[in-house]
Amino acid sequence: MKLSPANYAAIALTVAGAIALSALNWSGRPVSVATVGSMLVVGVTLGSIYAVSASGLVVVYTTTGVFNFAQGAMGMYWAFVYWELRFNRNWPAPIAIGLVVLVMAPLGGVVLDRLVMRRLRGTPLVLQLMVTVGLMLGFMGLAATQWKGDRGRNAQPFFGRTGGFELLGVNVTWHRFTTICVAVLLAVLLRLLLHRSRIGVAMRAVVDSRSLTSLTGANPEIISGLAWALGSSLAAVAGILIAPESGLVVELLTLVVVDAFAAAAVGRLRSFPLTFLGAMVLGIGQQFIRSFLDFPGGFSNADRALPTILLFVVVLALPQAKLHIRGTAAAASTRIRRITPLSDAALGGLALIVVIVSWSGGLVPFVDEWTGTGVNRGVTMMITAIIMLSLVPLTGWAGQVNFAPLAFAGFGAVMFLKVAGDSGQAWGLVMAALLTAPVGALMALPAVRLQGLYLALASMAFARGFELLFFTQSSVIDSGAGERIASLHFAGWQLDGRGRGYLIFLTIVFAAGVVGLIALKRSRYGRRWMAIHDSEAAAATLGISLVETKVIVFGISAAIAGFGGALFGIQQATLNPSQFTLLLGLPIVLLLVVGGVAYPAAALFGGVNTILFIVIKERLGWSWLSALEILGPGLMAVAMVVNTRGAVTDMGRAFSPLLPWRHDARDQFRLEHATEREDEVGELGLGRPFTRDHVNDLDRQLGIVDLIPASRPTESRGGL
Amino acid sequence: MTPVLELRDLRAGYGGIDVIHGIDLRIVSGEVVALLGPNGAGKTTTLATISGQISPSGGTVSLMGHNVNGARPDRLARAGVCLVPEGRGVFPNLTVRENLIMSTYTGVSIASIEERAYELFPRLGERRGQTAGTLSGGEQQMLAMSRAMTTDPALLLLDELSMGLAPMIVAELYERVGELAQKGLSILIVEQFAQAVLGVADRAVVMVNGEIRTVGAPAEVSRQLAEAYLGG
Repeated sequence: MKLSPANYAAIALTVAGAIALSALNWSGRPVSVATVGSMLVVGVTLGSIYAVSASGLVVVYTTTGVFNFAQGAMGMYWAFVYWELRFNRNWPAPIAIGLVVLVMAPLGGVVLDRLVMRRLRGTPLVLQLMVTVGLMLGFMGLAATQWKGDRGRNAQPFFGRTGGFELLGVNVTWHRFTTICVAVLLAVLLRLLLHRSRIGVAMRAVVDSRSLTSLTGANPEIISGLAWALGSSLAAVAGILIAPESGLVVELLTLVVVDAFAAAAVGRLRSFPLTFLGAMVLGIGQQFIRSFLDFPGGFSNADRALPTILLFVVVLALPQAKLHIRGTAAAASTRIRRITPLSDAALGGLALIVVIVSWSGGLVPFVDEWTGTGVNRGVTMMITAIIMLSLVPLTGWAGQVNFAPLAFAGFGAVMFLKVAGDSGQAWGLVMAALLTAPVGALMALPAVRLQGLYLALASMAFARGFELLFFTQSSVIDSGAGERIASLHFAGWQLDGRGRGYLIFLTIVFAAGVVGLIALKRSRYGRRWMAIHDSEAAAATLGISLVETKVIVFGISAAIAGFGGALFGIQQATLNPSQFTLLLGLPIVLLLVVGGVAYPAAALFGGVNTILFIVIKERLGWSWLSALEILGPGLMAVAMVVNTRGAVTDMGRAFSPLLPWRHDARDQFRLEHATEREDEVGELGLGRPFTRDHVNDLDRQLGIVDLIPASRPTESRGGL
Repeated sequence: MTPVLELRDLRAGYGGIDVIHGIDLRIVSGEVVALLGPNGAGKTTTLATISGQISPSGGTVSLMGHNVNGARPDRLARAGVCLVPEGRGVFPNLTVRENLIMSTYTGVSIASIEERAYELFPRLGERRGQTAGTLSGGEQQMLAMSRAMTTDPALLLLDELSMGLAPMIVAELYERVGELAQKGLSILIVEQFAQAVLGVADRAVVMVNGEIRTVGAPAEVSRQLAEAYLGG
């Protein structure tokens, strides 16, 4: 890998920063053979855990072209299955391991390939990312459903907690020694498998070109299935080895692999030696912080935040071209989207307000007035919809992936608490939005040079960094101090954060937000976003400044999320750091994308679904639905492989022909149902409805009618 | 004599719309046939159908007298059909050697493939550890051709071999095609540049709008080509 002077400068700056931070926060613990030895032994073990996890990520990416965000959750799931067999049912360890790693996990991988991954071929990268993140939540929900409650489960290490041998004054248990050996072995064996064996080469070949692979005589379907089987097995190995160290807890086990993203990024998602090196830097670095540094108060999470910081730095510092991104950030849809007229948006907003006012006031016939709980859920729905709305211009229109909307929302909530928490004055909402916008602009800096997967990773690191280092500061959120946010004071009214008045206020805000965004999209400036979404290169050649456009769209998105966060703060009245975690933010992104990220109506769809899962769970009361709020969004996201257009798109296409003024929708409906061919013909690169009649007409117009034999009957498909 | 390849009233296309409308073609053992025609004539679709990438919507594809309609491309490849697709049929992220390893799915050993490939194209030997995507266009085409030349196929399908290459490289590649033909291999070559291929072909076929317009000796067809290209 050749690095540019700028890369070297970034690395030097990072190292210098790390040294300066270490000097400033030195705990004063003596540096001796014993302390350094202890740090190294524990650090190498930790690094080995990261190496095993990251190897799975690299293998799956190299052999399938998909960055599997669900790798950690799959490992977690198989670790639970192993625990069930080994400790709950007392099966012998070798049999339980063999069954999980060599039979169940590979079969699971093959099933995943058959049902989900095959359908992801050729889809935009955004969809691939969302489906794998959906799988991650799906596996987490499945495990939480199958094995309720995180407590009381103890995954014993191999060969027990005692025993082992002494190295540099530290006892190395046999389990840790096994982990280190497995990490080294995997790094070597996987390298050999993928570069020296025919099946490994074929796995990489399939990612390059499926059709060419089949022309060489290899069966790409079988090879892809094998790649997913291998990836799933590696996830199982990682999960089983990590569980005794991290604890058999759904979230913890999943996040260990999220932390390992940094190591995989060091290896540029393809080099096993570099991934191993990255994992060791991570493990030893974390242990160095724990052993020798002492960060004050809110930064006490610095060791846990190291993977996030490393991921952010690596993604930013590595040369973009070398990052080896496969696919495109968000392939332009073959379907031309209709740009909603402002009048339609205003009418829709008005209809929503009427529905909410009527419903919450008990004016809808045969439907009861919303109770206090119902109104509060309505408030949650609208606030979630407003936060989701922040992603519509950013991801839907400008094509910039962002997994950190809840970090922006949290920042907005904190800003509202600081500037108007006591009084609840409405101008505080505007201030919260304005103060959050620069944070969004900060996030735009990586977006200027990153796209697709790497932007997604950077935004995840950003969200996790906020979770571990920002919200934990007592000067930011002091949950122990009992700071309360007052009810909203707006135009002489005092709106309780859980009352009907607040719900109606939120609905009006949402409707106004939608109309404002549509107006912005229809403006000359808004078209820039769609231009960079379709082709950054083409947009740049037209004189559009990518930096300025991205900074502004990130700023606007963050401002909306911050505004939503402030509204959330008013509803909750008190803030605590656990309200704004990365994992809580993922369903927000997923449900919006399931709805159809380019449509503001999808935000409402997402908001409705957020509370719908809670209501379903409560109404049905079935114990196996205990984790529905995680499982539901996860499965919905995975179901996008069947319908990639988004739910509101289909709803809109079915509903809009019924509106008297939508002649265009009725024409479109007739056209599609007459031909039912548009998608198929789209593969030929033709973006128009396509029938033999069209071809013949075109041929006649072009004067090549004599090439069509007179004897051939002209097919008419009707309806045109 | 049973033809190596026989197409009878073959129809095929994409998404239910035929691009080729009932073509008939026979290639006997050791014959080199040039399939010529303008853009959109259906030449590449014909090759894709023969190699199993597209299922015919009508008619039959027979190899050595066996109907192979609907057979998977990997099975046809193992049975001896070798397609070198247009636009450099190489795996860009694999090294030259790894590209050659992929050819072993036809049953030939890697040692034999490497020995023959590096003998035919010494430049590939010099670059065996280099990723194929970083090779020049000509070298990539040599690598693609080496799959055809080292695995002893029964039928070789070449799609736009000359596309985007310098005349000297094209001449070198066609020299190799000529050598293969002399060994008795049946070859179907699709080209837009007629002159490059007519020198090695035994017979030329001109396709226009998914139908075969002319079949004849290369010299005779050469005279009619201008007419076909101009849409007459």
